[in-house]
Amino acid sequence: MALIRGRDRKATAQIFTASMADIVFLLLVFFILTYKVEVDRTKMDLPDTWIRIKVPEKAAVVSISPPDDISGPPLTIRVSTGAEMSLPVSTDEEIVTFASTEVARDPEKEFIVKADEAVPYERVDAVLDALKQSKVKYIFLLSDQKTVRE
Amino acid sequence: MRIQKKEIASEIFTGSMADISFLLIIYFMITSAFSADRGMDFALPEETDTPEIKQEDSIDVHVLRGGAVEVDAKGMPLEGILPYVLDKLKQNPEKPVILRTDPDATYGDMIRVFDLLRQAQSEWTDADGRPLYMDVHGNPLVGIKTISIPTRREIENLWSMLGIQ
Repeated sequence: MALIRGRDRKATAQIFTASMADIVFLLLVFFILTYKVEVDRTKMDLPDTWIRIKVPEKAAVVSISPPDDISGPPLTIRVSTGAEMSLPVSTDEEIVTFASTEVARDPEKEFIVKADEAVPYERVDAVLDALKQSKVKYIFLLSDQKTVRE
Repeated sequence: MRIQKKEIASEIFTGSMADISFLLIIYFMITSAFSADRGMDFALPEETDTPEIKQEDSIDVHVLRGGAVEVDAKGMPLEGILPYVLDKLKQNPEKPVILRTDPDATYGDMIRVFDLLRQAQSEWTDADGRPLYMDVHGNPLVGIKTISIPTRREIENLWSMLGIQ
C-alpha cells in the first residue's frame, strides 16, 4: 500500500516574472517619449480659465510668484529661455534685456507668462510692458483648466 | 587522440537588466514633470497696422480692485458683460474691447474677465459653430474681433498724446 500513497506534493509558490521585462520596458519607453524637463519649477496657483490652448514647447518663460513666507521678498520673478532652468531677476530692466536678447536671436520667439493668481496686477502689467518694449510678438498666459461653473 | 571541444556558453547575462531598467524608469519618472502647458494666447497688435482707437469707438472694460468690473464707467456683474458687449457689437462689429485693470486688482481678477471675453465665441455660436446673432448689416457675429490689453505705460502715453493729464 505504500506505493499507492502519493508523494507529498509541495505547492510551489512562484511569482511569474517573465512579463516583467515587457512591462518595465513599456514604462521606460513611455517615460522617455514623454520626457520633458520643466524649465521653471516654481510652485504656484495659476488662475483657472475655460479657454485654454496649448502653449509652444520651446517658449521662454517669465514666472511671477508670491513669497513662500511673509519674511521673504514680496515677489519673485524668474526668467528662462525655454532651454535652461529659470533664473531670478530683480529689476524690470533685466527682463527687458533678457527678452530683447531672445527676440534678437529669434524674432518669432514666444513668451509664456506664468503668474500666480494672487499676484497684484501691477507687477504683471510691468512684466507685460517689459515684453512689449522688447518687441515680443507672441505672449501666452499660463492657466489651469476651470472645471466648475461658479 | 580526440580533443574534446569545450562548449562555450553564449549567453547574455540578463540578471541585472531589471535593476538597470528600474533605475532608468525611476530617473525619468522623477525628472519628467507633467508640467502645465496650456494657457491663453494674448494677441499683440502688429506694429505696422495698429488701428487708431478712439475712446468713444471702443468698449472699455475696467477691472477694479477686488474683482468688480465697470464697463463704459458703469458697474456691471460678470454675467452682464457679454450681453452688453454683444449689444454694442451688433451696432458695430469692429468695435474693440479694451481691458484695463486696476494696479491693485489681482492677476486672477483680470484673467477671469479676459477668459469671459474670450468665451464670446462659444457663447454666440451653437454646438455646430453656427452663429446665433447677426449685426445690423446682417453679417454673423462669432466673437469679439479685438481684445486689447494695454499696459499702464501705453495708457499714460495715449493720454499724454491726447493732452489729458
